[in-house]
Amino acid sequence: MSALEEKTKAVSDGGGFPTLFFIIGLSLSLIVGWIIFPKLLYSKKQQPFDFNHVLHNEMVEDCQSCHFFREDGSFAGVPKLAQCVDCHMDIQGDTEDEAIFVNEYVIPGREVPWLVYSEQPDCVFFSHAAHVKAGGMDCKTCHGPIGQSTSLKPYEENRITGYSRDIWGYNIAGIKKNTWDRMKMDDCSECHVQMDVNQTSVQTEKGACFVCHK
Amino acid sequence: MKKAADHTKPKRYGMVIDLDKCTGCGACMVACFAENNIPFKKDESEKLLSITWMRVYKLSNKKKYPDTDICYLPRPCMHCEGHEGHSPCVSVCPATVTDYSTETGIVSQIYTRCFGCRYCMAACPYHARYFNWWDPVWPKGMEKMLSPDVSVRMRGVVEKCSFCYHRYQRAKDKAYVEGRTDVEEEEYQTACTQACPARAITFGDLNNPKHKVYELKQDPHAFRLLERLGTNPKVYYVSSREWVRKSGDNYLKHEEPGHIATKH
Amino acid sequence: MKIDRRSFLSLGLGVAAGSVLSPLPWKLTDDLSIWTQTWPWTPVPKDGAVHYVHSVSTLCSGGCGIQVRKVDDRAIKIEGMEGYPGSDGKACNQCLAGIQKLYGPDHIQTPLKRVGNRGEGRFAPISWDEAMSMVAEQLKKLRTEGKSQTLGCVVEREYGTIPQLFKRFAKVYGSPNFMTMPSYLDGYEQIFKIMQGEEAIPGFDLENADYILSFGSGLVEGWGSAPRMFQANSLWKEKGVPVVQFEPRLSNTAAKATQWVPINPGAEAILALGLAHVIIKENLFHYDFVNRYSARFEAWEDGQGTEQKGFKDRVLDRYDPRYVSRVTGVPSSQIEKIAREFAKAESPIALCGRGAGHTPGAIFEFHAVHALNGLVGNINRKGGVWALPKPDYIAWPEPALDEVAKKGGDTPRVDGAGTETYPAASSLTHRLPAMINDAEESPIQVLLVHGANPCYCLPDTETVRAAFEKIPCIVSFASHMDETALMADLILPDHGHLEKYQDVPAPEGLSVPVIGLARPVVAPLYDTRHVGDTVIQLAKAMGGGMADSFPWKNYEECLRKTLGQHWKTMEEKGWFSPDFSGPDWNEAFETPTRNFVFIPERYGKDTEEAGVSPIEVEGDPITFPMVMIPFDHVRIAAGPVGNAPFVMKTIEDTLLRDKDIFVQVHPKTAGKAGLEEGVLAVLSTPKGSAKVRVHVYDGIQPGLVAVPRGLGRGSGDEFMADKGVNVNRLIGPVEDPVSGLNAAWGIRANLTIA
Repeated sequence: MSALEEKTKAVSDGGGFPTLFFIIGLSLSLIVGWIIFPKLLYSKKQQPFDFNHVLHNEMVEDCQSCHFFREDGSFAGVPKLAQCVDCHMDIQGDTEDEAIFVNEYVIPGREVPWLVYSEQPDCVFFSHAAHVKAGGMDCKTCHGPIGQSTSLKPYEENRITGYSRDIWGYNIAGIKKNTWDRMKMDDCSECHVQMDVNQTSVQTEKGACFVCHK
Repeated sequence: MKKAADHTKPKRYGMVIDLDKCTGCGACMVACFAENNIPFKKDESEKLLSITWMRVYKLSNKKKYPDTDICYLPRPCMHCEGHEGHSPCVSVCPATVTDYSTETGIVSQIYTRCFGCRYCMAACPYHARYFNWWDPVWPKGMEKMLSPDVSVRMRGVVEKCSFCYHRYQRAKDKAYVEGRTDVEEEEYQTACTQACPARAITFGDLNNPKHKVYELKQDPHAFRLLERLGTNPKVYYVSSREWVRKSGDNYLKHEEPGHIATKH
Repeated sequence: MKIDRRSFLSLGLGVAAGSVLSPLPWKLTDDLSIWTQTWPWTPVPKDGAVHYVHSVSTLCSGGCGIQVRKVDDRAIKIEGMEGYPGSDGKACNQCLAGIQKLYGPDHIQTPLKRVGNRGEGRFAPISWDEAMSMVAEQLKKLRTEGKSQTLGCVVEREYGTIPQLFKRFAKVYGSPNFMTMPSYLDGYEQIFKIMQGEEAIPGFDLENADYILSFGSGLVEGWGSAPRMFQANSLWKEKGVPVVQFEPRLSNTAAKATQWVPINPGAEAILALGLAHVIIKENLFHYDFVNRYSARFEAWEDGQGTEQKGFKDRVLDRYDPRYVSRVTGVPSSQIEKIAREFAKAESPIALCGRGAGHTPGAIFEFHAVHALNGLVGNINRKGGVWALPKPDYIAWPEPALDEVAKKGGDTPRVDGAGTETYPAASSLTHRLPAMINDAEESPIQVLLVHGANPCYCLPDTETVRAAFEKIPCIVSFASHMDETALMADLILPDHGHLEKYQDVPAPEGLSVPVIGLARPVVAPLYDTRHVGDTVIQLAKAMGGGMADSFPWKNYEECLRKTLGQHWKTMEEKGWFSPDFSGPDWNEAFETPTRNFVFIPERYGKDTEEAGVSPIEVEGDPITFPMVMIPFDHVRIAAGPVGNAPFVMKTIEDTLLRDKDIFVQVHPKTAGKAGLEEGVLAVLSTPKGSAKVRVHVYDGIQPGLVAVPRGLGRGSGDEFMADKGVNVNRLIGPVEDPVSGLNAAWGIRANLTIA
């Protein structure tokens, strides 16, 4: 056999291996992409201590009892220590979290450094008033059933962007089943287009950037 | 889900600045710097590199002593409407950074989108746009004075006056919480208007006959800068002095200001 | 199994296909694009609850009522306080930028002790206890040695509890040397004393005036309370009130005025008398006022029984428009026209105090201008000049003085104020440096300085510096580093202006009395102490009678007790306005004749001579063919506190470029000296020389060189320090022979190409 023939043969003989290698490559990268990458991409942080929404919900009227609007129209977001101390001057119950709260925060008068799952980047101006008051939306639409949670999940931070995982959503493929699964700009604009909100941009003939960006 | 809030009537926010009253004190500039987190550096005397969303220019009639006269002219962004919102900067921006809103008539600038090509700066005939050649630096401790209402910019992006748009947003929030949909004239005023100790600046909706600017812009002594370029700016000036009015555009000898461009 | 090229490629393909099917590339692309928009090195301001704190800013002399916007505990912006008398919802740009002084790098953070040579600026932090005992020891020593009168105190203004605490301290310690910094208000103070027999401060009812004559006052350049003046100016525009500005340079005020009348510098008094001439000659004066409520308008008899010419005849004899025109450079027709218009107006008002009023000027100028107001009867009347009582809400019991205090207190003041030579003056601080320099041993052994910056603000700063070198112990209470603090041996830092309570009386020039309340907007950031507390504690440390004279626990108690029932109003409203209705003409004047005196006693026979020629400026015309005049610019703070960075940013590039100051000269003057726009030149005066750049400006009289005041700060943050030239370094004081006030309006100079 000439050298050329030998080579041809070798190629045709090796027919099974390229497929195998293809499959190996495919599965490797699928594993990396779907399982390892998300693990690497997000760092996990624990909240300073646990919090039970259900327990508190029983004692107050609704979400806005703690997450309220200020008189000037701005939204207070996560409650400040001052709101909590009325009840939590002394340790209530016997959980370890309660002890941490009272001893480390209430007594020294330190604000709790909560990690906010829905924290948007600095370039975003989000008006709660426009959505809740004017738009009549409920909290759940964006925040999900967080009011029914009995403990706080770990806060996951994207190592590249520094954003909370809740912005992109927990589904790494970015697929959402519920309105509250993702909080990206596309999700905002999807709704804005549907509701015909502020579609006043001359450039895009869609939503004007300034409505939500600063 | 309920239908979103009622659309309020389209507004065209604008200003009328009385140059007879303006004393050139610079309070508008200082108020603007503080309101909008404008950076400051050791040397700000090279004015091409000094970021001043609001800048007070000094005009002169160029006559000899003792007939010399000077006049100050505060220059914010003119928020040009151009033709149907196609203002000079909006039409050249390749990144949809700058945009014209038909709701407010405000020309926006989204810093995070900007990649610094500076086409808009070349297009703007008013020098109202500024480029961040450096990252802003606040001496230790001074970052405490930054307002959360306005994003801090970085090097490589263009910025300009926003008519304190965040104040509009805040005013709207207040209105919503109080069960209203619209913002009253006095609820939305720019920082410079609020600060002007001569009360030379009046701000409001040029479309709204109830707003003071509606009446003021029709003053026979009102004019706009470089009107003949068709930029259709929303900042009007009033001056009783003819040479000042003439400084607002380039006129031939026989031309009279005010007779050329049609008023909008 | 052999991994050949094909297998390898297949692996690659597999990886690629798998990647595409996994979220990795898509998510990564998205994240990276977001990453490009996040700038971790730029600060992200923290959001929070917004609220406002009302206060009064003490950064400017006007005392602007302010509201400070806070986000949680951060102060982020200063705006004007609605309804505050005078500034009413507005503030001057210095006060608007006040937050930068709060958080800025030159805020002094702890007590400091000098370790380097004087003025070198090397300090070491020390504890408060150590600092206080050092001062107390020095003071005790001096007192035991019987040299209590060698204690000096320099403050900016006399009114308010803090200066009064210093005054009381000096008094019970045994020193008469409590001094305030010069300003045009000193001129008005003396004029009220000698023409109206009153201890008063001036109030100008400008909002109701209908004709304004300004003799070089920078009405929109920092004269009085800036925001109030801007609003008054706008009101005049709306009402069509004529404003006539006499000034050799087209200032902003001149440009805003209905009419700018260029005048030879220093000739303002002559012009005023020229106007008086026309008014008297044409019988346009206010008959009722002049005939019934004034004295010495007509001829009068002096103490010796000799007949003296009255104001009328002196003016008619000497100041006819042709002569006045020659001296002032104003055409006589214009003098006549303006005089008639002025006299015929309902509420005409004549004002003086050059520029922002940093230097008083000659008393003749004040006299001539005030006489104009007298002629038209616009004294203590709507739209006129009011003699307001000095703030009298501080009613502390007279302190008991021991022998040392009595003896020391009776010695004559070092600056000569209140002595036989200058009886009407209460402070002549500009004379202090020469007194110290001329003496073998400094007549001031310990100097306490608060709120004032004599090493920057007094004329002839080199002399001031030399004098300060000779003072054995200087204690500064500055909250921010300034030129005077740099010369101090000890700095006992006061809280910053947004960190403390303080009463702020009498917004400058307002026609109603007002006491404002400055209050802490944020808790003190550093290891500083309220200057009021420091003084009280020092007095307590001195023991004995001194301690008894300061019975308060601390300053806050002192302030609350002093304000008494008004405290609550002030806390709620931010200010308090005592009832005031000016007395009628028949009760208004407290001169011996109970009249408005056109020719004050002290003027005597030499009045005419002294009053005829304008105050000559220093320097010989051969070496110095030009005349330098300082001017005030509203964007440059020329007082004790310099510009905040934001205000620095507003300075035009025709005033300052990089580190070079621009001086303004007429094209002809520039041409003669071979100077062009922007070139470097040397400006020299008898007091020194400086490198400057030339700005050729049509709006200035030929032969003059105008230099902006307020630049050339020798200390402070990098944004303002070492930029331009301090004009006070190039000009010296010229003593007014009658009042002792600094009458210098300029100095001879030369400008040559560098």
